[in-house]
Amino acid sequence: MDHTIICRCEEVTLEDINNTAEKYGCSARELKLRTRAGMGYCGGRTCRPAVDAVVQEATGEEPGNNLPLKVQPPVRPTSLATLGGQHQS
Amino acid sequence: MRDIVIIGAGPAGLSAAIACREWDLDTLVIDEFPKPGGRLVGQLHQEPDGEWWNGIKETQKLVDKAEAFNTEIKCGVSVHHIEKVDNGFAVHTNQGVIDTENLLVASGAAESPAPLPGWTLPGVMSIGAAQVMTNVHRVRVGNKGIVAGVNVLSAAIARELQLAGVELHSMALPAVNTVTKDAGNPKKVMDGLVRIAHLAPSAFLRFGSKFAKAAWIRNLAVNFYPKGGVKMWGMPIHIRKAIVSINGTTQVESVTVCKVTADGEPVAGSEETIEVDFVCIAGGLYPLAELAAVIDCPFQYVEELGGHVPVHNQQMETPVEGLYVAGNITGIESSKVAGAQGTLAGLSIAKKNEKSNAELDIKIAEAMKQVKTIRETASIQFHPGINAGRKKVEKAYQAYEQANA
Repeated sequence: MDHTIICRCEEVTLEDINNTAEKYGCSARELKLRTRAGMGYCGGRTCRPAVDAVVQEATGEEPGNNLPLKVQPPVRPTSLATLGGQHQS
Repeated sequence: MRDIVIIGAGPAGLSAAIACREWDLDTLVIDEFPKPGGRLVGQLHQEPDGEWWNGIKETQKLVDKAEAFNTEIKCGVSVHHIEKVDNGFAVHTNQGVIDTENLLVASGAAESPAPLPGWTLPGVMSIGAAQVMTNVHRVRVGNKGIVAGVNVLSAAIARELQLAGVELHSMALPAVNTVTKDAGNPKKVMDGLVRIAHLAPSAFLRFGSKFAKAAWIRNLAVNFYPKGGVKMWGMPIHIRKAIVSINGTTQVESVTVCKVTADGEPVAGSEETIEVDFVCIAGGLYPLAELAAVIDCPFQYVEELGGHVPVHNQQMETPVEGLYVAGNITGIESSKVAGAQGTLAGLSIAKKNEKSNAELDIKIAEAMKQVKTIRETASIQFHPGINAGRKKVEKAYQAYEQANA
């Protein structure tokens, strides 16, 4: 039983991630979608390496050259005004 | 449209900007932090020759030099997306879109988490956050703390906290879990410790460093590690004790520490409680390469460099036309190496407009040599396999070029 929180934004525990990885034998992307780890406010900037590590452990695969989780813009928290073309002053 | 936009005003970005301005390129440096210098501003340590390395002063030197060349540096500008457009890039920031022909991503590194039970309590911070609070913002992070994670970075920053008069009880390992793994394994940690041993005025660690190549000596050192820890600058470093939980109701009140075997297994019944009001988590660094990823730069996984790095050649060019990288995004190394890489990247960018300039060719050759010289003489080495790691990236670049020729 490991109730250590991995994804702070979505409050996903190490146990949640380990169990999901074990049950579904999933890819990093599937693990993210099933648990919501890395899908909170920070965009996975805190937990990305942790999620990668759990997947590596669960699948036993060495990391490949492609990033396990795709990086999507915006890579920083961004206001709708900025996305709409209005600049912050 | 700018000639060059540099993302990151750390040692790599500023050094690159100076080189670009020396060759008269229309240059803009942007950084999301309110001040230039990147993580350099937090650094303060004594070199083996006794000289002090003061990151604030080093930053000022770079900023002064950049300003002498009329370099435009904008802080508080955060990039959230980059698009490839005709003849260049559109850099999307919180201050609008900036168009540029060339782009240097010198975004540095980020800290890996070392999750432990209770690590979301107020009073828990990454070791890098403690460094910035102490040396940049001059904020006392707490009255008495403990460091979870024993590595090159955490030892250097623990020393900085000490110098600032912040009391640290000790440094110990984070308890082993799926994420912390090697960081909680005494043998693996000892392998890393011998690389910083020359920084420690301790006969025990110096003894270890002499025999750094002999695994059996390191195993011996792990097995017979003193119960009171090995003191570095008067602060105990425990590699046979692990922090198993961080406790408190509304903030950090204590940590629970237990003894561990040479392989990191907790020894039942050995738990003790240590009262602290802050905890620094040190999970190590990885290259912060998200901006290279959003413009589809190919990556290479290189453990020696800290993880996934954008593929690039020795001149710091990536396979994406007009995209360059420098500093910790290319692999975790010291700020001095980052600065040398920045200068080299700046010259490489200048080379694009000055195709047959003999003077520039000589400067580029010198800058490449300088990167290697600084790497070899660095007092803090983050990984012993740096050179092997660098070769892997170079090969990946060549393979990529051949495949796309």
